[in-house]
Amino acid sequence: MSGSGSISTHQTESPPLAAERASALVSFDGIWRYWGRGKNRWAVLRGIDLDVPAGTVTGIGGRNGAGKTTLLRIATAILAPDAGTVTVDGLRSDDSWREYHQRVGFLSAGDRGLYNRFSVRGHLEYAARIAFVPRARRPTAIEEALVRFGLTELTGRRADRLSQGQRQRLRLALTVVHDPKVLLLDEPRNSLDDEGLEMLSRAIDDVLARQGAVIWCSPAGEQQPVGFDRTYVIEEGTLRPA
Amino acid sequence: MGALAPYAGAVWATMKRDALIFVSYRLRIFSQVMAMLFSLLIFYYVGKLVPPGAIGPHGQYFAFAVVGIVTTAVLTSALGSAQVVRMELMQGNFERILISPLGPVWGVIAVAAFPIAYSTLFAGVMLAVASLAFGVPLLTGGIVPALGVGILGAACLAAIGLLFVAALIAFKSSLGASWVIAALSLIGGAYFPLRLFPGWIRWASDVQPYTPTVDLLRHLLIGTRPAEPVWLELVKLVGFAAVLMPLSVSVLALAVTVSRRRGTIMEF
Repeated sequence: MSGSGSISTHQTESPPLAAERASALVSFDGIWRYWGRGKNRWAVLRGIDLDVPAGTVTGIGGRNGAGKTTLLRIATAILAPDAGTVTVDGLRSDDSWREYHQRVGFLSAGDRGLYNRFSVRGHLEYAARIAFVPRARRPTAIEEALVRFGLTELTGRRADRLSQGQRQRLRLALTVVHDPKVLLLDEPRNSLDDEGLEMLSRAIDDVLARQGAVIWCSPAGEQQPVGFDRTYVIEEGTLRPA
Repeated sequence: MGALAPYAGAVWATMKRDALIFVSYRLRIFSQVMAMLFSLLIFYYVGKLVPPGAIGPHGQYFAFAVVGIVTTAVLTSALGSAQVVRMELMQGNFERILISPLGPVWGVIAVAAFPIAYSTLFAGVMLAVASLAFGVPLLTGGIVPALGVGILGAACLAAIGLLFVAALIAFKSSLGASWVIAALSLIGGAYFPLRLFPGWIRWASDVQPYTPTVDLLRHLLIGTRPAEPVWLELVKLVGFAAVLMPLSVSVLALAVTVSRRRGTIMEF
């Protein structure tokens, strides 16, 4: 059942739900994913269906190990689902990797993904290049990302000389430097102070203003600094409205 | 060509990134220069023990060995690509490349590019030092064609390196690179003429790109007689490049697909 996050997608859909599916910016359709092998094989995701319309923020919660990160990694195409498909803006990653990933910005959980001896500006320039930001747009995109996350004073500083909160702000800046339509955030609060959370909130508003969409995953019980349009929880591999 | 431009730009940006990180370790270059000088000194004196004409009528052992050493340095760097990718995985940096429009296959090529380019450049510096400081008689007319052969040879060796990266991504192990480097430099004739080897092992010299690369480089740079006619050596090298490069990219793409399905692509 699209949009409601239950697992009965393959049943006949009511007209409003079918219309919503057609207008969804991100669609998870019957996602199954197993981990392990043989007797130790278990399904972490059991037929997840979810439509995320443009202009919305979707929150997904769940206990540790519930499958939130797995779901996001499937959306980034780092992981292939055992069954089901994900589309972003009508595109599948297998068919059009480049166009698909130009639309997606992903922030992984934790604080990794930075080069210790590389400067803040160097990181952003590099991220813009591998995201194929056009040359004419690149300087502006980098400046905007620096300003948006309060990094202008730190442009020349190496990543290993940043505080944890500053590192997270840099990681967020790298996530949005190419103006993605879809933001996939895995536990983005990590080490952010109030000012950092406010910056993140404004970045989310920018995505929504471009008719983009945001999926925010966080552990159950964590207080959220932004308002969600829809909230779900993953329990025993299925997605339920929270 | 236009469609490839962003990929080439991203590979270039990755090389620039790696170069900046490399030079941030200021003593690393000094250390490598010292290692190079001592290596040259060792072979300079070993060369004095080898009677003139021992490696053939057209060369001296020291010059012969120097070309072998620099080619082996490029080989080592190319086959070390798997370790570079492994480091990226361990540090959690490869994820950003994986989820970018650049994608995993181009991403691996980009990450492998700087070490191979650097070792090729360093090989040129080593040859220049060998010529200027140790008197290796380089043929100036052969330098430009040798550059072309060097690039072609490096591309072939890089393709073998990508096969090791594919093994790393699929099986989380690239064990074997070090002995393959040693074996290739041995059967390719890095330090000894191939005629010293028994006949039954010489076939191994003909089924990999290291032999024609080092043989052609020696012919062009120091005037040794190649084991086969030059045109045949060139055809072999181009043939290896034509087969190995698409093969390695295909195998790498397959390894990525398999590890995405298994869910192990981010593991190391």
